[in-house]
Amino acid sequence: MPESVPASLILDAYKEIFKEARGGQKTDPLGWVLSVPDTHQKSVLAALDKERALRTLTCATEDEANAIAAGLWIGGEPCIVMIQHAGLYASINTLRGVAIDGKVPIFYMIGLLQRERDKDPRESRHSMVRWCEPLLDTFSVPHARLEGPDDVHLIAKYFKLSRERRGPAAVLVGLETM
Amino acid sequence: MAPGNVITPMKPEEILRLIASSRGTAICVPTMTTAPEWRDIAPDDLSITCAGFMGGASSLGLGLALANPERRVIVFDGDGSLLMQLGSLATIAGARPRNLTHLLFKNGVYHTSGAQNIPGGFDVDFVMMAKGAGYRSAYAVHEIGEFKRRLPAMLSEEGPVLVELHTGLAEKTPMTARGGKPLSDMVDALRKKLA
Repeated sequence: MPESVPASLILDAYKEIFKEARGGQKTDPLGWVLSVPDTHQKSVLAALDKERALRTLTCATEDEANAIAAGLWIGGEPCIVMIQHAGLYASINTLRGVAIDGKVPIFYMIGLLQRERDKDPRESRHSMVRWCEPLLDTFSVPHARLEGPDDVHLIAKYFKLSRERRGPAAVLVGLETM
Repeated sequence: MAPGNVITPMKPEEILRLIASSRGTAICVPTMTTAPEWRDIAPDDLSITCAGFMGGASSLGLGLALANPERRVIVFDGDGSLLMQLGSLATIAGARPRNLTHLLFKNGVYHTSGAQNIPGGFDVDFVMMAKGAGYRSAYAVHEIGEFKRRLPAMLSEEGPVLVELHTGLAEKTPMTARGGKPLSDMVDALRKKLA
């Protein structure tokens, strides 16, 4: 059965990822979080509001987040994009154009709002949940499920994967964070 | 302007040549009809074309500006393009990049796809929108003499600044002058130059 993940664990993972991406150098900010607010990850967004080491930029659309992520990466700044599954659907052309064709490593944390606790997401009665992984599969975007605190290591793993393959990679947030 | 005088729309090519002579070490982000001409004017320099994700030039420019706060970033946007991601005006204003100059080449049409009118045509007021979103400054420029006079300020004043440039149609479009490097090559080249 999936469990909720505390925001503090996710933020700690972000910080470690950014530190490693910068080769251990201390910088201000340590890294960027590009967010189109997601109900599923709202406790993480609330924690980010109080976090000084990370800079959060709220974007009006997921399309923007993709293009901003590209500009940051070209300029040597690490970032994470936090969106919702509906935003993935809305921005799939930009993901294709920027992260796939442009070979820009973009790592996404995607909230599966309305995912049922007792169902595999692919069997959800909500199309937004049900079609998320098949959509990522269609575009050959590697992805993993964050189904509880024991899965937090997947955030770093898939961030690194996006860099190694020079393209998109995603972690799907199974239950609302706490 | 004296009564009876008619303003001739500015030529995009002339604007781009003037920018090239004044931009110094600025990063430039052309898109759509400014891309082919800029490719000829400024090959292999600190530029990256927004191609394959129409509407993304301003956001790409924002990311570059945030990552390179000591360097000016100049976006050559189009009116049809900006309409596709109009929310970027608010996102840019919220991020307050002091080094971002957002030049909007306004011709009232989707030139590349056959010059269909954009929604609202030439009457859409992007200056008002940028001001309303919270840009530090925004103004329109109608003729080339004024553009020449104001260009140094455009490239040095505190951003984000949007300048609505009233232009005619470009001589070339991405459809009539195909070519250019793949986006991934431009990404690699610019990343290396900025490292």
